[in-house]
Amino acid sequence: MSRKFDFWTLVMIGTWGILLLLLFIPVGSVLLSSFFDTSGNATIENYLRFFAEPRFQRAFINTLVVGFGGLAGALLLGSIMAFCISRFQIKGSRFVSLLAILALVSPPFIGAYSWIVLFGAGGVVRAWLRDFGIMMPPIYGVGGILVVFALKFYPFVYLMVSGALSNVNRSLEEAAEGLGLTPLQRTFKISFPMVFPALTAGGLLALIQSIADFGTPRLLGRGYNVLATEAYTLYSAEVGSNMSMATTISVVLIAVSLVFVLLQRFMSRRNVYHGNMINKPTKIKLKGWRNVLAHFAVYFIGLCGAMPVIISVIYSLRRTNGPVFQDGFALQSYERILFNLGDVVRNSLTFSASAVVMIVIVGTIVGVLVARRTTLNTSLLDGAFMIPYVMPGIVIGIAYIAAFNTGPLVLTGTASIIVLSIFIRRLPYTVRTTSSALRQISPSLEEAAISLGYSPFQAFLRITVPLIVPGIIAGGMLSFVTAINELSSSLVLYVGSTITMPVRIYLLILDGDFGTAAAMSTILLVLSGIAVYIAFRLMGRNEQALL
Amino acid sequence: MAYLTVTDGVKQFTGFRALNGVSISVERGEFFTLLGPSGCGKTTLLRAIAGFNDLTSGSIMLDGQDLRAIPPHKRDIGMVFQDYAVFPHLSVFDNVAFGLKPRKVPAEQIKTRVAEALSAVHLQALAERLPAAMSGGQQQRIGLARAMVINPRLLLMDEPLSNLDAKLRIELREEIRDIQKRVDIATIYVTHDQEEALAISDRICVMSAGHIEQIGTPQEIYGNPQTLFVANFVGTLNTLADGEGRAKLLAELGISANAAHWTIRPERLSLLEAGQGAPSGAVALAGTISKFTYLGREAHVLVDTPAGALVVQVSNPALGAVRTPGEAVSVLVERSALMAFDADSKRLSLEG
Repeated sequence: MSRKFDFWTLVMIGTWGILLLLLFIPVGSVLLSSFFDTSGNATIENYLRFFAEPRFQRAFINTLVVGFGGLAGALLLGSIMAFCISRFQIKGSRFVSLLAILALVSPPFIGAYSWIVLFGAGGVVRAWLRDFGIMMPPIYGVGGILVVFALKFYPFVYLMVSGALSNVNRSLEEAAEGLGLTPLQRTFKISFPMVFPALTAGGLLALIQSIADFGTPRLLGRGYNVLATEAYTLYSAEVGSNMSMATTISVVLIAVSLVFVLLQRFMSRRNVYHGNMINKPTKIKLKGWRNVLAHFAVYFIGLCGAMPVIISVIYSLRRTNGPVFQDGFALQSYERILFNLGDVVRNSLTFSASAVVMIVIVGTIVGVLVARRTTLNTSLLDGAFMIPYVMPGIVIGIAYIAAFNTGPLVLTGTASIIVLSIFIRRLPYTVRTTSSALRQISPSLEEAAISLGYSPFQAFLRITVPLIVPGIIAGGMLSFVTAINELSSSLVLYVGSTITMPVRIYLLILDGDFGTAAAMSTILLVLSGIAVYIAFRLMGRNEQALL
Repeated sequence: MAYLTVTDGVKQFTGFRALNGVSISVERGEFFTLLGPSGCGKTTLLRAIAGFNDLTSGSIMLDGQDLRAIPPHKRDIGMVFQDYAVFPHLSVFDNVAFGLKPRKVPAEQIKTRVAEALSAVHLQALAERLPAAMSGGQQQRIGLARAMVINPRLLLMDEPLSNLDAKLRIELREEIRDIQKRVDIATIYVTHDQEEALAISDRICVMSAGHIEQIGTPQEIYGNPQTLFVANFVGTLNTLADGEGRAKLLAELGISANAAHWTIRPERLSLLEAGQGAPSGAVALAGTISKFTYLGREAHVLVDTPAGALVVQVSNPALGAVRTPGEAVSVLVERSALMAFDADSKRLSLEG
């Protein structure tokens, strides 16, 4: 008995150690650095400057604008799609869901660039429209950012709301019908309140992602700066890099997203109407123009959301001469990756794979700890695991630089720092899924095994582990998707030898070499797709797990 | 010395005492039931015997061996769970064979013993299936076979039938009883269902609030309850209202004992036909019917009497025997049917 106690005490200490090293010290360094000026004197000057300077005020307001704009766009597209798919018979609705998944797993800055290809200054669609005499403004600026966010983040709303909608017991609507409510009244008085928590939770998720996003405003903004891009600019400026101001902005960004993350968690906790599901909702078959309209809406949203993917695949196959596209198709872009950029692919794969292995092992053990040994200490731990959710990737990157650039542990420029930054961002997800999976397994299963003669450890190994392993591997696969698509923290942390695919794609886009960027994006998508496929095979097709 | 004894068992949780000095003894082959409302400590006692939560103090001896010194997985005790606890990732066969593996039973024997156990619970046809899609009754049969197949020294059952529907519950409890008699294994059975306890047990231990109210055969528990709690919990009970009507009734019956509670079971009362006189040792109590409830094999007639509202149970009510509220009737109260309890709710003897 006492040996087991020692093991879990050790796990507890180890977990707090990991959190201290990888979370508290970096966050503390950011906080600390924001209270010092560039010459090392303690001051609140940075914050005063933040609130005084129009440049930062504008970035702050812009951040809220893209946040709420992303929320509004995602809500609009997501709820239309969710409502149509869960209430009407749509031909090929599984294909449309697949399009939503594609939008979700593709890196957002690819979206930004694909829309530039179509609607930018020299955009294909714009040029084509110009031939007809239609002048269209280019997509740059806040409008473009909001279009990309709406199309990129609508799946959050779609997946959450369609889940909630298909859980509304049909009897409730029938009861309302029996009480004499018109279909419109029914929708607003019965269905809408039931899905309202899902709507807000999904919308807030879109908002949090919009605030944290770096690549899209960077590529599409053209002077429209948000906190994430300002922090990066201040950090990376070759002349006059201002770490203390970058950390100040990071602190503000953490504070802003903290508010919305807390709100989001509050709303998703309310998202539990567990009615009995005896009377499942039925899908109505629409007729005439309504049917055409519903199909058009669903496919339009789905295809627009997946447009970046489609564009990437097509452009990756185009014949090129240097960075310039020629007519016809060829595999030149892939050849270039194979011969010149193999190490980038290898970096991405090894970093992501090692991060995921660590996430799965540590996350599972800590998940068991949180689920099975509930003391004050473990609930504190549960709370501490919230923190990485609040940290946008840019902030994690800057925090890691602030913490590990000098001092006893210097990690900057190494592969470990990138792996660790991915590890800490995704660890909470695995801890959470493992502990909730464990809580769903009745303790009497292990007790049964014990009463049959297995030691507690063996019972855990033979009964509980086989039951949670598929979920853990599936979770690991989804973590792999996040890890391999991670841009913003790696962009801060990379050096020449530790460059990853998303960073390379971002740099290629800046260099104007879109053929190679598209080919690399396609490789990234294929890898992500394989991981999602494996995950769905293991746990059933569960799109909600992607949230 | 009894086969299993628990002596002065105490279990203290933070803020409340789940077991407060409990002592029981169970004989070899006995079917012993712990009966009580939820929170009375019956499951806590069972889990202490299984080893899942140790007692705070007290001793548990099985066949002369101190159980508390043995970790749960070495106690050799079979257990059947309320939520079945069937391993969802193993086939029915593998579920039942699970306990034989750590016992190093040769593969050939595993096959025959599992087959025997499965046929005892009528599941031989489903051996290769996964249990996930099976009904509650089938899953609990797996649980039963799995616990029996290891030939444990003791079988524990924690409300095994409470998640099943009424008909199946009766069917399965008969099977459990038959199998238990056949393999002759000491069994401790936890339930809150008094009818189930009466039907299945050799002896019943009625518990409330962490202590034992009474231990006895089903007949003793039902027919001769020693506390007001037992009388109330097992079966239904009429309590005579304190007052003149009760005093007059007791005087007419010639009872002079001084008790706090006077009770009588509905089935010990009867309605007196018009013009019929009360036999000796009984008194006719005049009243009016306030409610008539027909239940098929019996009917309950609620009668307002000077001694309070009394439920009279009428067996095999005839088709036309509907009583209407407001009708004047006489309730026949036999002297021997009365049960008296003192202020501490302890049973008083009315002999002599």
